[in-house]
Amino acid sequence: MSSYKEIAIRESCFRPGSTLCPGCMEAVAFQNVGRVSDNGVKTVFTIGTSCAEVSSLFFPNVVAWGRGEAPPDDYTRSFSILHNVFESAPTLAESVRDVADVLTDMGALKQPVQVLSSSGDGGALAIGLRAMLHTIHRRARVTLMVLVNEIFANTGFQYSPATTPFADTSTTPTGPGHPGNLQPPLDYIHLVIAAGAGMVAQVSPAHGKMFNKTIERSLECEGTAVIFVPSPCISGWKFEDGETIHLATLGAQSGVFPVFTWEKGKGGSVKDCSIDASERPAVEEFLGMQRRFTHLVMKDNATGRFIARPGRENDLARMKDWVQSNVERLYHLADLMV
Amino acid sequence: MSATDGTKAPMRHFTTPSGEIYPDVIDLEPVRAAHHALYESREEMTADGNTAAAIATLQMWRCVIYPGFPITPSTKWIETVAARIASDPTTKKRVKLMEAEHAVADYMVGAASACRDLIFPTATSSVGLDHMTETTRSLGASGLGNVMIIDVYRATANFPLCIEGDPSDTLAHRDDGFIQIAARGKQQIYDTVIQAPVLGMHPEILTPTMPGYYGIKDSHRNARLVVEPDAEVNTWMDKWLAPCALPGLLNGDTAFGNCVTSRHFQGFKVSQKRRYERVLEFLPRIGASFENHFGRPGLAFFDAVGFEDPSVDVAVVSMGPDFGTFEAVREGWGRKNSLSTAGIAMRLLSPFPRDAVRERLKKAKVVLVVNQAHHMGRGHLTLDVVDALSDLSSPPKVVGAFAGMGGADVSEPTWERMLDQAKHALEGHPVPPYAVFHEGMTL
Repeated sequence: MSSYKEIAIRESCFRPGSTLCPGCMEAVAFQNVGRVSDNGVKTVFTIGTSCAEVSSLFFPNVVAWGRGEAPPDDYTRSFSILHNVFESAPTLAESVRDVADVLTDMGALKQPVQVLSSSGDGGALAIGLRAMLHTIHRRARVTLMVLVNEIFANTGFQYSPATTPFADTSTTPTGPGHPGNLQPPLDYIHLVIAAGAGMVAQVSPAHGKMFNKTIERSLECEGTAVIFVPSPCISGWKFEDGETIHLATLGAQSGVFPVFTWEKGKGGSVKDCSIDASERPAVEEFLGMQRRFTHLVMKDNATGRFIARPGRENDLARMKDWVQSNVERLYHLADLMV
Repeated sequence: MSATDGTKAPMRHFTTPSGEIYPDVIDLEPVRAAHHALYESREEMTADGNTAAAIATLQMWRCVIYPGFPITPSTKWIETVAARIASDPTTKKRVKLMEAEHAVADYMVGAASACRDLIFPTATSSVGLDHMTETTRSLGASGLGNVMIIDVYRATANFPLCIEGDPSDTLAHRDDGFIQIAARGKQQIYDTVIQAPVLGMHPEILTPTMPGYYGIKDSHRNARLVVEPDAEVNTWMDKWLAPCALPGLLNGDTAFGNCVTSRHFQGFKVSQKRRYERVLEFLPRIGASFENHFGRPGLAFFDAVGFEDPSVDVAVVSMGPDFGTFEAVREGWGRKNSLSTAGIAMRLLSPFPRDAVRERLKKAKVVLVVNQAHHMGRGHLTLDVVDALSDLSSPPKVVGAFAGMGGADVSEPTWERMLDQAKHALEGHPVPPYAVFHEGMTL
């Protein structure tokens, strides 16, 4: 494995020029993935329609992908990217992998190739759940990265199957008698394990070393590696500039999206998030940083802490129950030795 | 071209309009060598249409992965391919069974863009093609001429579901951007599947192809088929298929599938249409080359019968195997009514060969257009023919007809009833914009 420093000085495949929102976690993730994948192996990246796609492959703007100012002389540092419809990214990656494998098997391709895909949670878990599960089921030797911002950000912050309970989205709006999203998120980590993934993780670049190490391990996975990347969305979650990493850290530590890593046959672990709620940061602090939960919590001027808004005490209690069940669920999944 | 003084994997590379290409990364010779011939010599056999189409794709050394998903009546294509691959213990070719037609189409996007010198075929039908639509519309504009979707025609949509063959599926997809070629008869199916990728991958065209044939009538019924040796098939194809000058994902540093502003969208679409229109120039050349090599008719805009004197009383425009029934009744009906008749069976559906159709029909007095696909207006073919004739100062009268929808046989009495309708128009009587015919009756 490469050290954090070794990776940090590599050249990313994600270049200046994207129009992702300032503070978008996706850009941070791509920067890091780009450096990890600058490892002497040709990289092919596939991407479904998403914020990331429309913000980085928008002609006549610059294509925000590639290594270096010009195509590299060294083929192994070359980079290709393919976009197709929302749900397609895993299937695209699988097909590129297959063609590379067949050509290699026939002796027509001598260079190794690594294939990664990127989807949003809408692309992977809503419209594209079929595609993702079946690529995993077929044990495609690719890394599937799912950037989970818990909304359909690209179309205006609508509910997705990964939306946190009680979140205010443009299709689960809050109002009198309407506390936002009432649907618990899809258990996507369990789903991809059940589908046969070789490696599963939930980690964001807020846990920088862990993130890079996870991506690096995924590129060596013999089966399908699925990396869910919690991705605070500054526009959809409505938080202040400069808080992206803090929010991602707090979300992980408070139990909303704990850091989780798992490998087939080896089991896994939950990191930096105790199963005991009293040992975790209060989830109210995570909620209070975002205006999508402003109907649920408010700042107590006396203590400076976030508390339930009057009349929302039961909703907050239900939210905390869900967070606890979420953490316990991941601890149970970590013990799975399938 | 750039040279390199790097220490790692120096390789030639060139700049192209689509990014950088590293032409030495993929050596196609081992792929060619890994092909195991299905037929060493010309053979005559009895086969159904799906088998004929499957054999053609199996004989191409450039086909190394066969993605598919079964749907009636195309299923036997993937079954045949799978059986042949499974019967060869040393082949390195693969059948790729996907979970849905949409996945097949997505898979072909990735595979075809990974290596633009390989050919990726599949077969589907009806709602299977509909299920692919989100991606076939992308593919049509993609420049990936190495994608071939064999459409086994079947009535599309449910309410009511009908598993027999009419071309409403392919005709509902005319704006997908594929080159759509209809075949009738097993030999024409086989020959068309061999020629289609040559047309689609031509550097002036770079457009995916959709050869098709009628479900049940042609997909399931057996007839005589002459199969050429693999070596001849590939020799002929290789004569046309030079290495793609544009990079793929594996041998390039490139980006596929960008989005654009509306301003630049125009240019992309103009480019797509121009490539598409070049089909009209290259299809006859490829067809002639095929005929010269194999001694059978190659691709053509249409099959024609009875135009020795182009000034016919009634000219028929139709497609598919039921055109053969028209050929059987044509002379008898003509003698009985003292009228001359001729007809064309369309082969190239999209782009529609407007000029060639006009040239062929311009001296006819009445043109009877027989549509076999449901259409909410006068019929797909009718509208195309009317448009083709619209430039004439005195165009023939066009009679629109529907018959054989849902794959029903267009019987001799039905053809005669439709020809009677054309005669009615020829005599100056008013006829409706269209009429529906079945079993010798007007419905």
